Amino acid sequence: FTTSLLLGTTMTISSNHWIMAWAGLEINTLAILPMISKSHHPRAIEAATKYFLTQATASALLLFSSMINAWQTGQWDITQLTNPTSCLILTSAIAMKLGLVPFHFWFPEVLQGTPLTTGLLLSTLMKFPPITLLYMTSPSLNPTVLTFMAILSTALGGWMGLNQTQIRKILAFSSISHLGWMTIIISYNPKLTLLNFYLYALMTTATFLTLNSTKTSKLSTLMTTWTKAPALNAALLLTLLSLAGLPPLTGFLPKWLIIQELTKQDMA
Amino acid sequence: MAVAVVLLSGAPFHGGCCRHKVFLSLLGPLLSNSKLYSSYRRPGAEPKKKLSWQNADFSFKKSIDHLKTQLSLLTKETQDYLQGPGGHPLSQHVLEQTRVLWQFRSQEDLNKWVISSDVEIGGKSKVYIKLGRNNQAALLYGTLNTEVPRDGETKYSGYCSMRSRPAVGSFNRKKYYDWSNFNSLYLRVRGDGRPWMVNIYTDPYFSHQKDDLYSYFMFTRGGPYWEEIKIPFSKFFFSSRGRVQDNQHPVWLDKASFLTLGLTIGDKVDGPFQLEIDFIGLLNDRAHREEFAYETYDKN
Repeated sequence: FTTSLLLGTTMTISSNHWIMAWAGLEINTLAILPMISKSHHPRAIEAATKYFLTQATASALLLFSSMINAWQTGQWDITQLTNPTSCLILTSAIAMKLGLVPFHFWFPEVLQGTPLTTGLLLSTLMKFPPITLLYMTSPSLNPTVLTFMAILSTALGGWMGLNQTQIRKILAFSSISHLGWMTIIISYNPKLTLLNFYLYALMTTATFLTLNSTKTSKLSTLMTTWTKAPALNAALLLTLLSLAGLPPLTGFLPKWLIIQELTKQDMA
Repeated sequence: MAVAVVLLSGAPFHGGCCRHKVFLSLLGPLLSNSKLYSSYRRPGAEPKKKLSWQNADFSFKKSIDHLKTQLSLLTKETQDYLQGPGGHPLSQHVLEQTRVLWQFRSQEDLNKWVISSDVEIGGKSKVYIKLGRNNQAALLYGTLNTEVPRDGETKYSGYCSMRSRPAVGSFNRKKYYDWSNFNSLYLRVRGDGRPWMVNIYTDPYFSHQKDDLYSYFMFTRGGPYWEEIKIPFSKFFFSSRGRVQDNQHPVWLDKASFLTLGLTIGDKVDGPFQLEIDFIGLLNDRAHREEFAYETYDKN
């Protein structure tokens, strides 16, 4: 399944044709489903079903968008998405794939039903192909729609994560919030989106792997990990602060650069 | 000859009629208003004369009052959200080891529970609930009767149960609680020696999981003294539609709405029963280290 995930991701990020990109996304979706439902617990099955339904809908919308563009312009090149309707449908499809507001409701529930390692893959590797498609089509997309979704994602990701007691749900809301930051800058400086994504993937990987090694899934367990692995706990503290974006840690860098770029665009 | 002509001329008509009947029989379930399951009405069930939407009350004043109630509930929920998880500060959530879920001190506490028995399938058991002496406990009492209703399809009878009403928030939305800090159910009861079954129904998202139930036994002593029964959640076994499943898994408590916590008696013994319940709560028993009491296995 891991090989299929890598295949799907590679297919999407290296494709020029919409059909290849869509095929890669479908391979990714199908490959991760058995990993989500591995434990056969009803909650895991629920998470897998919710993931499949949302991702299948998003893939269908993506294909629909590319078909409208092909019908209007006669070509299937990803970078040549020019039809406004196609761009709008693609934006909603990518938002659903990524978990941007208002298509974010599935993400915390799915992450809560999965084991921590699969959750890591859902938060990092599964986000890479849609971000790549967003990067390739960013000049054609409506900045207003993207900005609107990004601001809502950043705000709601933060507020809804406030009273959570399950760590996977907190990390899901953190992911939604970071995706908001990535989306807001994509129309003006797409390279900052990629920088933000790479750093976010690094920090999230560190967080998930630390939590996996201490078998922590809720806050009350996290409170007692300092007795079992004090050094790892201290490292987790720094990683979480970095995820939050505190200077002088690494996580502050993309936020600073994004705000600087938005200021240049008279938006901040 | 004339008869033969009539019969021959009638043949296509009959053929068409038969085709029409076959067509209707195929589309019958779609065209009829009956439910997907059998429309047979059990002897104890009331005949449904009115459709559910006909029972709706379209009074304007009542709807305004209802809206005011729901908005006040929403305001309270927002204030609780600002305070912390479950309306309590985070420190309380992290440090608490016990929590009382239901206690029986007034009629309002009794109204949070629903009692039922095999009368709904045509049986003859009786069950009642009232407040005990000095309003300090709930008294669940009645008579169990295992006589099978003679309707041709029921094989077993004789059960009585008490189930909690679902917790709903504003605008009838389901309330979800995080009870993952606790690992045991704690009941202070005074029984009559009869065994009970504790059922937990965690509200599933999909309809095909609506028959899932987690159960365990509660054996009571008959003495005059109260007993405190601790049932770890790791002991609850999983069943669906009354059949214990091969593929067992522990009950997840992180999204425990506990739509129904039920106490059922069905020990196949005719006669009176009585159970006094002081309170039902949750406990984090640090001495209990078991994760799950039954074998879990991977299919492949």
